[in-house]
Amino acid sequence: MGYNNEGFSIYDLQLLIEGLGVSVWIFLVSTIIGLLLGCFIGLVRFYRIPILAQVLMVLSEFLKNSPVLVQLFLVYFGIPALFAIDISPFQAAVITLSGNTASFVAIIVISSIEAIDKRQLDAARSFAFSEVQIMKCVIFPQSLSLAMPLLVSLAINQLQVTSLISVIGVVDITRVGDIINQRTFEPFIVWPIIGLTYFILAKVIATVGSLLEEKYSAYRMVNKL
Amino acid sequence: MLDLSAMAGYLPEFVEGFIITAQVSIISIIGSFIVGLMVALARVSTNKIFNFISLIYVDLFRNIPFIVLIFFGYYGLPEIGIYINAFWTGCLVLSIAVGAYVGETIRAGILGIDKGIVEAARSFGFSKLKLYRKIILPISLTVSVRPLGSVFINLILTTSILSTITLNELTGVSKVIASNTFRPFEVYVFLVLLYGALTFVISGLITLWHKRLNRYLEEGV
Repeated sequence: MGYNNEGFSIYDLQLLIEGLGVSVWIFLVSTIIGLLLGCFIGLVRFYRIPILAQVLMVLSEFLKNSPVLVQLFLVYFGIPALFAIDISPFQAAVITLSGNTASFVAIIVISSIEAIDKRQLDAARSFAFSEVQIMKCVIFPQSLSLAMPLLVSLAINQLQVTSLISVIGVVDITRVGDIINQRTFEPFIVWPIIGLTYFILAKVIATVGSLLEEKYSAYRMVNKL
Repeated sequence: MLDLSAMAGYLPEFVEGFIITAQVSIISIIGSFIVGLMVALARVSTNKIFNFISLIYVDLFRNIPFIVLIFFGYYGLPEIGIYINAFWTGCLVLSIAVGAYVGETIRAGILGIDKGIVEAARSFGFSKLKLYRKIILPISLTVSVRPLGSVFINLILTTSILSTITLNELTGVSKVIASNTFRPFEVYVFLVLLYGALTFVISGLITLWHKRLNRYLEEGV
């Protein structure tokens, strides 16, 4: 019985496609959770809600200023050991990446709200707009158009960050590359293919992003920013 | 719950890991600066071939995850007859990858220079070399101290990924300590705080340096 374990097979392609699915799925889930969480942190800090704003600020500063790899280890190895609970690699990946994305989104949210002329808010208040109405009709549409380019480049960056989850055992594109590389010993074929896969994914996000940017560019066009 | 006493005995190991992280960071900062300077000059040059190559370089290395590059370097280099250890592989790949970001940052600084200054220098008969050496590079580098600083802080955080190719820097050492003490939570919280403090101090120093260098410039501070 000759079983050849070396060389490439058609199943490697299947593995790569499965890994691609896992990477894209984790990217989408963590980006959406990160966006919602980041908007929440940004608003809490913008309205200066006492205690909560300070706690969230310190937390997001440490999330921004430490390696994502260490954050992954903290969630995957540290939290189960301390609280005696089980966390799957997939859950750890989503928790870490969402938190990390949120801390960057919060900065973008705050800076794009603060970029709006304060006189507009005064004007809206003098017309007896409620705070919710001001947020919905004055701040949000303009901030969105300012934030869009920053959010797109954040998304491209976060796609690359997803590759780190391979280290805690999630079978994403990078892990698939590692598995195939360990078996075939063909690093010069495997890694360029993996790299190219990420490159194409990044270009897809950039294309979608520039469409979104264009769609929400009205405010920047008017103010020639 | 929280118990830091188990970690205390491992202070020498932490220090050793920190030293390796510092060494890799310093070597790679120098390396990526040299690479980045060349990329930036190629990007702004009038030579179409240099332009094209540097554009591809920047686009590739900014869109491929570092962990993929480091695996390629670690498993690929021995295949082409280059036998270097994890430390130097890390320095090499970091320099090449971060060089793309450094290049774009310096390029932004060069493009931001007032055209009038360049024209003035030209009218005084400066050669191209002298123009770059005496006018363009000094101005663009002083203006981009802070953006370069955040690129280099990112580089320091990225060194943690070298733990995946068996280098026992700060993160690699912590993995060993976490499994020896069975205290992963305390070890990794400590590590997050340590990296946070480190980047906080460095970005403070960069801001001070930036202010000092740009004290004669009205804009850019």
